Amino acid sequence: MTRRTLLVVALVASATGIVASLGQAAEIQNPAATPLPEAKGQPQARMLIVTGLGGEPDYAQAFAQQGDASARHAEAAGATVTLLTEGDARREAIRDAIDTIARQSNETDKLVVQLIGHGTFDGEHYRFNVPGPDPTAEDLAAWLEPVSAERQLAVIATSASGAAQDVLAQNGRAVITATRHGRERNASLFGGYWAEALDAPGADVDKDQRISADEAFRFAERALAAYYEDHQRIATEHPRLEGDAGSFIVARTTPGEPIEPELLHLVSRIDELTAAIDELKSDRRVLTDDDYFTKLQDLLLELAKVDQELKVKRQDPPESDTHVPFLDDVIR
Amino acid sequence: MTRDRATDAQGTTVGDGLVPSRFLCTGMSCAGDHIAPARARGRPYEFIVELDRLRVFSMGFLRHLGLAILAASIAFWANADPLAQCRLLEISDREGGRDCFRNLLTDPSPALQAEAAWALGDIQTANALFRSATASSPDDDAVRVRWGELFLSTYQVADAEALFAEALGINADNVAAKLGLARVALGRFEARSKQIVDSVLAGDPDHVEANLLAARLALEVGDTEAAQESLRAPLMAEDVLLRLEAMALAAAIDHILGSVPSAWETKALDIHPGYGELFETVAHFYIITRRYREAIAQLERAVEIDPELWSAHATLGINLLRVNRFDEGRRTLAKAHDGDPYNVEVVNTLRLLDSLDGWGLLADDDVIMRIHPDEAGALAGYVKRLVTDAVATVGERYGFVPDYPVVVELYPRHQDFAVRTSGLPGIGVLGVAFGDVVLMDSPSARSVVEGFDWASALWHEVAHVVTLGATNNLVSRWFSEGVSVFEEWQTGPSRFQPAETAEGAARYRAVPIGVVRAHREAELLPIALLDEGFIRPTYLGQVMVSYNQAGLVCEFIAHAYGQDALSRILAAYRDGKDTVGALETALDMPHHAVDEAFEAYLDDRFAGVDPSAYEVAMQEARAAATTDDWALAAEAARRAIAAYPNAAGNPSPYPLLAEAEARQGNQAAAVDALIEYWRVGGRSPRALARLAGDLDDAQRHEDALAVRRSLALTLPLEIEVRTRLGDDLLDAGKPREALQEYLAVQSLEPHDAADAHYRLARAYHRLNESEDARRHVLFALEIAPRFQDALSLLLEINQ
Repeated sequence: MTRRTLLVVALVASATGIVASLGQAAEIQNPAATPLPEAKGQPQARMLIVTGLGGEPDYAQAFAQQGDASARHAEAAGATVTLLTEGDARREAIRDAIDTIARQSNETDKLVVQLIGHGTFDGEHYRFNVPGPDPTAEDLAAWLEPVSAERQLAVIATSASGAAQDVLAQNGRAVITATRHGRERNASLFGGYWAEALDAPGADVDKDQRISADEAFRFAERALAAYYEDHQRIATEHPRLEGDAGSFIVARTTPGEPIEPELLHLVSRIDELTAAIDELKSDRRVLTDDDYFTKLQDLLLELAKVDQELKVKRQDPPESDTHVPFLDDVIR
Repeated sequence: MTRDRATDAQGTTVGDGLVPSRFLCTGMSCAGDHIAPARARGRPYEFIVELDRLRVFSMGFLRHLGLAILAASIAFWANADPLAQCRLLEISDREGGRDCFRNLLTDPSPALQAEAAWALGDIQTANALFRSATASSPDDDAVRVRWGELFLSTYQVADAEALFAEALGINADNVAAKLGLARVALGRFEARSKQIVDSVLAGDPDHVEANLLAARLALEVGDTEAAQESLRAPLMAEDVLLRLEAMALAAAIDHILGSVPSAWETKALDIHPGYGELFETVAHFYIITRRYREAIAQLERAVEIDPELWSAHATLGINLLRVNRFDEGRRTLAKAHDGDPYNVEVVNTLRLLDSLDGWGLLADDDVIMRIHPDEAGALAGYVKRLVTDAVATVGERYGFVPDYPVVVELYPRHQDFAVRTSGLPGIGVLGVAFGDVVLMDSPSARSVVEGFDWASALWHEVAHVVTLGATNNLVSRWFSEGVSVFEEWQTGPSRFQPAETAEGAARYRAVPIGVVRAHREAELLPIALLDEGFIRPTYLGQVMVSYNQAGLVCEFIAHAYGQDALSRILAAYRDGKDTVGALETALDMPHHAVDEAFEAYLDDRFAGVDPSAYEVAMQEARAAATTDDWALAAEAARRAIAAYPNAAGNPSPYPLLAEAEARQGNQAAAVDALIEYWRVGGRSPRALARLAGDLDDAQRHEDALAVRRSLALTLPLEIEVRTRLGDDLLDAGKPREALQEYLAVQSLEPHDAADAHYRLARAYHRLNESEDARRHVLFALEIAPRFQDALSLLLEINQ
């Protein structure tokens, strides 16, 4: 098993506000990252990425690149990543990796499991192609059962992966598959476009400088459709997303930056204003256009002013020896 | 209709064989597919005008030929043939004639029954009866010929061809079968059609049907004298139907020569007052010479005297569409379909028209555009600018600026364009101009990698609008094409801009290597015969060679006699001169002398071009690149350029040279190579994108902007390309142009909608159009409230 687990800064934020969290790695392989002591009990984002058998050199290379890109971006976004690559990605290794995560994680953690490669469906079971016996969707569901993280995401970027949707579905778990059902059996291109999304600033449609799994899915789904249309081919895969994938950050468009505690009130105000804007948008149907846009502009102007104030103050931060959380941790 | 595959192994099916009957296969994608390969073969760059030449199998033409063969067959079978009696009776008493045919349905001969059923319009029964007739008389070649004629008349050419071949297998001397094959070849642009007809006439110079076919062949290339000679015997034919057809062709000659009204019309109508085929025939020759309005007038006369002449209704409908009379065309086609539901061209076209219902019409005084709604926002601005620029530029150079709007239709699906053009899928052309109506593949239908430079193609078609308009459509095919090609080279969006220091062959735009070889192997046609190179090519690639030859002739004339000489030639065509007359009038020298001077010009133009050395050098350059031997790759690429300067096609040595120089660290040389490539008309998106980036790196932002304009014109539907051009324009202080790019991007519904709105807001803000700026920045922030650049812009707008 190749384990690439490294510490960055955990990205997790509570739904209501601010959580400054630190992660820890059992094996730190990134010399640029400074190990910090584990903050026990703090939310963690964990990600298991598995690249399966390619079968042909081109596929093997593509899957390896996709796995590497996913790992790199997740790490940069603050997740603790375990990457299993083709030779080491045996059924037992996947089971053990999930078992380790299950033992390490708690309810507030987030877990993302991403499978990249070829899949099959025999009419009854979805299987992920790895060296040795192939794990089924039922296996995966059973191994995930002990994981206490309440928010989970499975990304099955393989052919026939639609067959895994119902098996993996459960409360708190979003499931993304490359195909609509198990009968879409041609080699999938979805994983390639997913990897492309992680590098594309345009995938960050809400401009929060982070690419959520939902954003990556939408980007990949659209690019895939364009591919089949441009090449005048019948689309042999139709990606599917079930559940809420918006809270899983899979990449950042800019590096996370530390923020001084003295400025946290501004960040809080930004959160409040953003929430107010969301509320206004939900009320749009009962407002006239004039009312709506007047109120929207008022909120946005205030948001712009706070944002500007934050930027100015961060350019000239006060001296402090207290811990500096990351902006990521406070914006959500 | 289908031949019974169980009993006849020569029957064919459409597509994957799941369609049991061609007559049941009315989908756009399958109808007519059976002739697609022949039509598509080897003509990827035809921007031809008279697609109607593709239609020689179609509608009235087929019906007319069918009648001729029917008449011949009747005469062949017996003087007292009851079919002949019915046919004659039908001329004077239509209903009586039909009763006569109905009586024949009980005749013991299945062949005669089949003829009767065919005459009554019951094609399926006729087919079944012919099948029975061939089964009961397997050695009867005549019945197979008639069965083949039935297939030919119902647009099923491959089956017809097989039956003619079977008939000749039984009787190698069957003239009717030979002529059937000649008509099959005619529709495929195959020169053998003339060879077959000539061979028949060699054995029997007065053979009426062969002479009729010879007359048609001659008229198709505008040789009225030969046609008149061929009609001598048919005009005296004993058989009235053959005589009528000869009269119709004689009337067509009069129309071509401008001798109207034709006395032959009166004579024919005296014999058969309801002979609508007379005007249908005349219309056919107007159509193939692009005189659609005249054709429409003839077709309206045809359906007036024979309201059940469904083929004429169909041709009328299609030609009404060609002059942008959409509603009338649609109604007429619907009527044609009611009368003949088996006409695939009609079915295809009606289905296409149904699919156009959601297309908006973008119109102003200069341009009327029909563009797919998904592409209209991104393309309309470019189309409008290209058309107005082309009309002004080309119009000024030739002394004719149309005072009417140019209609442009762009089709994202090539097969839709094909159906709109000819009623059938599978044509191998990219654009056509029907007078002032231009139809084209849209940029999404084909890629630039396939050689489709859509902007240049549009320029080419608009040049046709000028030359056709300037001559009331009397310009010859080769000259119209020549001017269009020449203008692509000289004034088009991908025009040739040689370096000032260029010498020898480098002074000229490169033409395909095949053209150089054709010149050296004396395969170029004399100018007076150049039309034949488009219509009936005799060797593979001759159509491409003919396009380029036509362009080169125009280039030569402009070079040797001045640009005005080209306008004088147009004027001569407008005055009714043929090619020889037009050349001699405009240039004041014998046309043979023009040919000789042209040949000498090409000798000089191609001096130093070494196709073999070019190919060897390109191979070496590519091989060296694969082994990372970049010094050798650069050296070989330079040799390729020296052997064949300005070659911008795909593959081109310039991008290869640029790559090799860059790999060796010679960035300036790499940029020079790509600039040269761009200036000679190269439009590889990858090469242009790289060049623009390199120019930016070298702080040559103005040059980079110019290259990005070319790139955006090449890839107008690419969001990133249009966005980047907008950004560059904004940086260059051109917010109005930038706004157009951003509006195009927004119309393409980009994934990053907030970013698109933000860019629009920036452009509006720079234009001091505050309300639009505010609106779009609010749209952006509504989607992405934390969009920091947009928040800053909102503050700026509200200051």
